[in-house]
Amino acid sequence: MFNVDRRLKFPSALILCLHYPACLLVMAALSEEVLLVVKRVRQRKQDGTLYLMTERIAWGPEGKDRFTVSHLYADIRCQKISPDGKSKIQLQLVLHTGESTTFHFANESTALKDRDAAKDLLQQLLPKFKKKANKQLEEKNKMLQEDPVLFQLYKDLVVSQVISAEEFWASRLKLSSVEHSLSNNSKQEVGISAAFLADIRPQTDGCNGLKYNLTSDIIESIFKTYPAVKQKYAENVPHNLTEKEFWTRFFQSHYFHRDRINTGQQDIFSECAKQDEKGLKSMVVQGVKNPMVDLLSLEDKTLDEGYGSLTVGPNSSKTVKENSNSAIIKRFNHHSAMVLAAGLRKVDAPSDQASETSSTDGNSRDSDFFQPPIKKVKLQEAIEYEDLQNGSGPKTIALNLKKSDRYSHGPVPLQSHHYSTSQDIINSVSCIQEEISCYKPCLTRVMPSSAASSAITALSPGGLLMQAGTQQAVSQLVPTDVQSELKHLYTAAGELLRHFWSCFPVNTPFLEEKVVKMRSNLERFQSTKLRPFQEKIQREYLSTNLTSHLDEMIQAAYNKFHAWQTRRMARKT
Amino acid sequence: MASEDEVSLLVIVVDVNPIWWGQQAQREPEFNLSKCLDAVMVMANSHLVMTRTNKLAIIASHCQESHFLYPNKHWKAGDVAGDEVSSGSGDGKYELLSVANDLVAEEIRNLMARTQVKGHQTDTLLAGSLAKALCYIHRVSKELEAGQDMKSRILVSSWFPFSSAVYFCIIFVQMSMGIFGLIIYYILQVVKAAEDCALQYMNFMNVIFAAQKQNILIDACVLDSDSGLLQQACDITGGLYLKIPQKTALAQYLLWVFLPDADQRSQLVLPPSVHVDYRAACFCHRNLIEIGYVCSVCLSIFCNFSPICTTCETAFKIPLPQMMKPKKKKLKTAN
Repeated sequence: MFNVDRRLKFPSALILCLHYPACLLVMAALSEEVLLVVKRVRQRKQDGTLYLMTERIAWGPEGKDRFTVSHLYADIRCQKISPDGKSKIQLQLVLHTGESTTFHFANESTALKDRDAAKDLLQQLLPKFKKKANKQLEEKNKMLQEDPVLFQLYKDLVVSQVISAEEFWASRLKLSSVEHSLSNNSKQEVGISAAFLADIRPQTDGCNGLKYNLTSDIIESIFKTYPAVKQKYAENVPHNLTEKEFWTRFFQSHYFHRDRINTGQQDIFSECAKQDEKGLKSMVVQGVKNPMVDLLSLEDKTLDEGYGSLTVGPNSSKTVKENSNSAIIKRFNHHSAMVLAAGLRKVDAPSDQASETSSTDGNSRDSDFFQPPIKKVKLQEAIEYEDLQNGSGPKTIALNLKKSDRYSHGPVPLQSHHYSTSQDIINSVSCIQEEISCYKPCLTRVMPSSAASSAITALSPGGLLMQAGTQQAVSQLVPTDVQSELKHLYTAAGELLRHFWSCFPVNTPFLEEKVVKMRSNLERFQSTKLRPFQEKIQREYLSTNLTSHLDEMIQAAYNKFHAWQTRRMARKT
Repeated sequence: MASEDEVSLLVIVVDVNPIWWGQQAQREPEFNLSKCLDAVMVMANSHLVMTRTNKLAIIASHCQESHFLYPNKHWKAGDVAGDEVSSGSGDGKYELLSVANDLVAEEIRNLMARTQVKGHQTDTLLAGSLAKALCYIHRVSKELEAGQDMKSRILVSSWFPFSSAVYFCIIFVQMSMGIFGLIIYYILQVVKAAEDCALQYMNFMNVIFAAQKQNILIDACVLDSDSGLLQQACDITGGLYLKIPQKTALAQYLLWVFLPDADQRSQLVLPPSVHVDYRAACFCHRNLIEIGYVCSVCLSIFCNFSPICTTCETAFKIPLPQMMKPKKKKLKTAN
């Protein structure tokens, strides 16, 4: 018996030994924690084991220590399970790319349990990774939409298979993710519309019932504004009530309706009502911290006989109608206060101590400590105007220029002037004076006709002075569609060349591979994009050699590659 | 075809530095100041004849002063006294032209007569003349009637032996009286003879920028050597720069290139714009450099690194063995 037992145990132990070392090996390679192992899972009619790890799900066939199927949770769009009645218990994973993998749980006794365990774990894990994948995709889409040049580049390079999408995004996403995270922190939070409850307009569904349309936005608003309701939700759903039932009860409860007369029933919301009352009372007690605002002076003053004013004392009895009116008013005030408080309540702990708004939320109790400083700050603000003070600006250091005449000297190189002696000067001046003293304009003989005609020749197109003008701008000779195509070629070539040149100096085997790949990419680019363009412009008789510079750049890249390759060969031999 | 309301004012700035014109007269007697002035007068007359509403001013840029040759302070456009118009009216010329010519001749004679030789003042006061031209344009624009447009330009005619010479500025201001508003086109034509004077650099640049602000074109007709400052002036304000190969044909060049106003120039085939050298000069040697070192405190430019800026005496750290990257200053074209 003992032997039999041992013999029985041995195969299973052997299997375990076989599997766990494989698992360990794989673990060592991937350094991930294994969360769940399910044996006897068939995939494509092969027996094997399913492993669920922290970031991926993998399946390896029995007897082998490698995974043949491995999917990151981020790649999985959703999971599907076979309906309960079926004999085959299966779990299908659908990836973002559209492919699907099916696992068949073949362990007779525990198949259903295994499958459900796997499904539950996946259900918990998938949402975590889902956001990341979507976010990346969204980011990429946004980037492509915002920048038409990038979009064009993407079309030119990736869609036409010149380089792969990963290479394209490799250098770009890194930058944008940093910026994105920064901007995320400083993104403004959307406030809550004060009318969110009113937006849930009930619709009659034909037979004495009311249908309320609740969107997730509205639910979020309700939770944010009334944390008591959120608490109730967390307590009751999904243990006691389903979501639908919860909301039905919510709307049915008198808590929601106008007359907040506490009926004391087993309404789960009666507590909420009591909490609200308490909150409101505490809010009133705290009052407003701003010393400039005196709410208590806003009292109803009605006209008395003889047109004097009559202040209604606080102790006067009210009629029933007045009571219900005051109840509505109280609810309005409370609602508005909660909306404001929810909008101002930050996710992290409120660090700005000087804010008076922390006290408007009736449920916060730590604002009492900060009364004196707030009052002082408010008074200070009211008294002082920044503009009217002769504020001392930041301390500056005076600029001390020793040779400021240097600035006034223009960009004229110091040449040796033609110095004339004073005798020369006197001579010239006297000469001129003589000449001009008898100056009479003789406008009929201003210049000889030969001079005039040579001047005209020089000024005519092709003349001496007009040489520079014949170099018409290339942009005027080449049609615009050819120009835009050339621009696209330049951006695409620039991108490829940038990838290529960034590989040098080639230190790692990864860079080596990349260099070779980039060279083949460049060749491909040249043959698929550049040559047809060149042929096209040749056909259209555009004589200007538009692509010579592009050819030069690509040729330089080829030369560099060739040199590097020969050097590598020389080193190897 | 300018309408009645368009006024075009041309201001010609003529460089009449006597020292250099005198030397030029000794070197090349066939082209002297008289011939130059004749050519300018032809240009001025042509301008006045183009449209009845065209206006003119001529400034002589001397080494001691800048003097308005036309119009005279004491002379008004409509005032044609019979005694003064002597020889001009004899040939049946448009009276305005004859009066103008006589006036110019007289003024230049007076100007030269009162020249005093002073050895240290040999440079032409071009910046001052341009400033006067701008002020004149501004004044005239204020005197226009409501509903008149004015276009003005300055023509600087200068030629450039080895040092300062005569700046011959023809400022062509076309005043166009538009029905719907006042459009003033200013064109200053500068006829330059002398060298770029280092002392007037700041003033010159200020004048250029003021002209740019006022939409006044500055044209330059250079007789001898290229002038970087005038090239910049023309480039910045949108005027034409021309270096004339043949001085004797000055009148032809003026009429061909500088007589049409800015609107008409776009329809004509004129000499293309030259490549302007906007390089800065280093403060130590006054060499034109493209890449240099700039002090971050006082913005003075040097061609070599030095640990202490000589202008503001700020000490800079000695750079590490890898040389500090020189801040690139490419100032080729500032367009």
